[in-house]
Amino acid sequence: MVEKLQQNRILWLSSLTCNGNSHSLLNHPNLDLLLQNIQFLYHPLLPSRYRLKEVIQNSYECEILVIEGSIDPTLKINGVKMIDVITRYSSIAEVVITAGTCSTFGGIFSRSNEKASGLHFREEKRTEDFKNIWQKSISLPGCPVHPDLIFKTIQMILKGLYIDLDECRRPKIFYGWTVHDGCNRNEYYEYKIGHHRFGEMEGCMFIDHGCRAPFTRGSCNKILWNGINSKTRAGQPCSGCTEPDFPAFNLWETKKHMGIPAHAPLGVPKRAYISIAGVAKAFKIERFEKRILKKGSAVEKKH
Amino acid sequence: MKKSIELIEKIEGEAELHCAYGTDGRVVDAQIQFTSARNIEKILQGRDPKDALIINPRVCGICNHAHLIATVRALEACYKSVKISQKSQICREVTLSLELIQSHFKWFYLTIMPLLGFKPAIEKALKPSRIAAEAIAAFAGQYPHNSYAIAGGIVSDITPIELINAKERIEALKKLFKESLIDADPALFKECDKIETMLKHRGDMPLAMAKIIENGWQMMGKSEDRFIVFAEGAFKKGKSIGTRVSTNISTGHIKEESIKRSLAKRVLYKDRGYEVGPLARAMLMKTALIKESHRKYADSIFSRILARVCEIPQLIIYIESLLHRLDLSEESWIDPGEFPKRAVGAGVVEAARGSLVHKVEIEEGVIKEYNIITPTQWNLGSGDIEKPGIAQKALIGLKNSDPIELVLKSFDVCSVCTTH
Ligand code: SF4
Ligand code: SF4
Repeated sequence: MVEKLQQNRILWLSSLTCNGNSHSLLNHPNLDLLLQNIQFLYHPLLPSRYRLKEVIQNSYECEILVIEGSIDPTLKINGVKMIDVITRYSSIAEVVITAGTCSTFGGIFSRSNEKASGLHFREEKRTEDFKNIWQKSISLPGCPVHPDLIFKTIQMILKGLYIDLDECRRPKIFYGWTVHDGCNRNEYYEYKIGHHRFGEMEGCMFIDHGCRAPFTRGSCNKILWNGINSKTRAGQPCSGCTEPDFPAFNLWETKKHMGIPAHAPLGVPKRAYISIAGVAKAFKIERFEKRILKKGSAVEKKH
Repeated sequence: MKKSIELIEKIEGEAELHCAYGTDGRVVDAQIQFTSARNIEKILQGRDPKDALIINPRVCGICNHAHLIATVRALEACYKSVKISQKSQICREVTLSLELIQSHFKWFYLTIMPLLGFKPAIEKALKPSRIAAEAIAAFAGQYPHNSYAIAGGIVSDITPIELINAKERIEALKKLFKESLIDADPALFKECDKIETMLKHRGDMPLAMAKIIENGWQMMGKSEDRFIVFAEGAFKKGKSIGTRVSTNISTGHIKEESIKRSLAKRVLYKDRGYEVGPLARAMLMKTALIKESHRKYADSIFSRILARVCEIPQLIIYIESLLHRLDLSEESWIDPGEFPKRAVGAGVVEAARGSLVHKVEIEEGVIKEYNIITPTQWNLGSGDIEKPGIAQKALIGLKNSDPIELVLKSFDVCSVCTTH
């Protein structure tokens, strides 16, 4: 989307946020490599070239602007409206990244604040305020965004590589598939075996426990969290934190119509889902009927 | 009267510090003001109580797990009785303790060391916190922002693989602690009661503490000398006025008050302000080294900083002893049954910065009220000149040339928590 950058200066600005995206980035195992190649004009946690006060008062040249948190037009820091600071730097920067669901779609903090929204969206709806920078924006939703997604996106920008974006300006390489892809409960999903019980490795949480992964775009089960795990692998239903409607209601239960999950997998017509589910359910598959691991895995004895 | 307004940055957000100076150039009044509010409590109203498990970690990027554990405790308190296995109890304590460790490392290296004039050592902050996060993720799926603790236990089946993944990382943390913070075995901190003995070791902690003494700052930042700790587990519950401890406290006596001009509320216990956090916890546990520090330097920045760093070895030992007792053959989750339609519950937890209290009221099966009281509200909630808040009191009397920012940040202000 952009030519190779001449310099690598990143400005990280926060609006209404929990700082979760900033902290999440700090967990990247190769952060030191990134820090050798870029310079943070400001980051909420890392040593930076300027103080926030200076960033707010001046206009520094920068190539990448990262925004975290819902944008609230009334929020002031040091007497200056944050939205004005964001507007100013988004016109200077060559690329604008929204890190997290809050700055992309409004997220959690826009639910109690009607004025707050994402940079280009309020939930699903396009907003107009930042229309002029649409072409240079990249959306990285997630609550928080996975550190490797920011890391790799910045790498791609620095190297001048082409980033294929979808209609919400999310890189398709990360958001083209769903979180369901790569979950180690996939076999249970395929054969529509519900009987998931919390605290167990077996069973799929789509049937009863509200797993939103089949209609949530993201890479959580392929680019693992903290390098080793994911929520659905561990046994927590995906709460759909990368999606415009996050946080939806009743996140631990699957809404059903006549026993069928009300929300079909992404892009799958309801009828197709119902037919396939019907066929899958017609068979009783011994292997999935009982637990595979013995209770407590029983391998390690009491020390 | 001379006045100053400073934007205090990198405190999980920002806050404004308004100081007024007397004719002798010393701070006579200090007001700490937060300027944003996110109203998480409002978002919860009308929702299924279990949604709070997903929403509440988002109060804070650095102590999200403490918010999860406080939530699950508040929800469990809504039931008449809930049985949870020792296994899930242990897992929760382990992941919570790991969160404290990552927070302590980040604070020491990214906040305190630079304020003492040392070059920021990013890797020394980030490597241990990354490893602690991985160990949490081994049990809980991811870090930050997981919701693996639910009423009745935890969602994960802890197999030997998860256990090995976690244990490897705890070993690594122990090594890093020795390599960078202090060249001593964690066990030393159980007995050591001489500041000089500690200062003789090699490492960044002795360097930092020596620097405070060298600069003549060891008596600065004294406050009310009143401490309170609400949650147990790794710590002991109770309050301590100076060294006088009483264990009979109840969350029923906590009162929140609005403060003029600031979007944060302050908190009092029986109408008095108390300091929460590592120093308070060490005072209640009567940790030998901190008792000694308190005897010499009272509740100053010296004691406060030392207490926080010394929690790291203590927590490592705690985690090891817990994992030693972990019995994998137990259930991870015991079905607590239908969530009550009408109930109230409270949950407390010791977060990195101090006691965190969650209170919930359920009506017709949904959340009617949710109330969160965060550690920073205890420490940073401003008062007036007659009745200053804890951090305010610590700042009053300082000169402009004194380390005002260090004194303030010794409490580790958390803007996002305060303005949840
Ligand atoms: S998207 Fe999630 S992690 Fe990021 S600021 Fe918002 S609540 Fe925090
Ligand atoms: S639990 Fe969720 S992510 Fe895993 S297989 Fe089932 S639907 Fe997919």
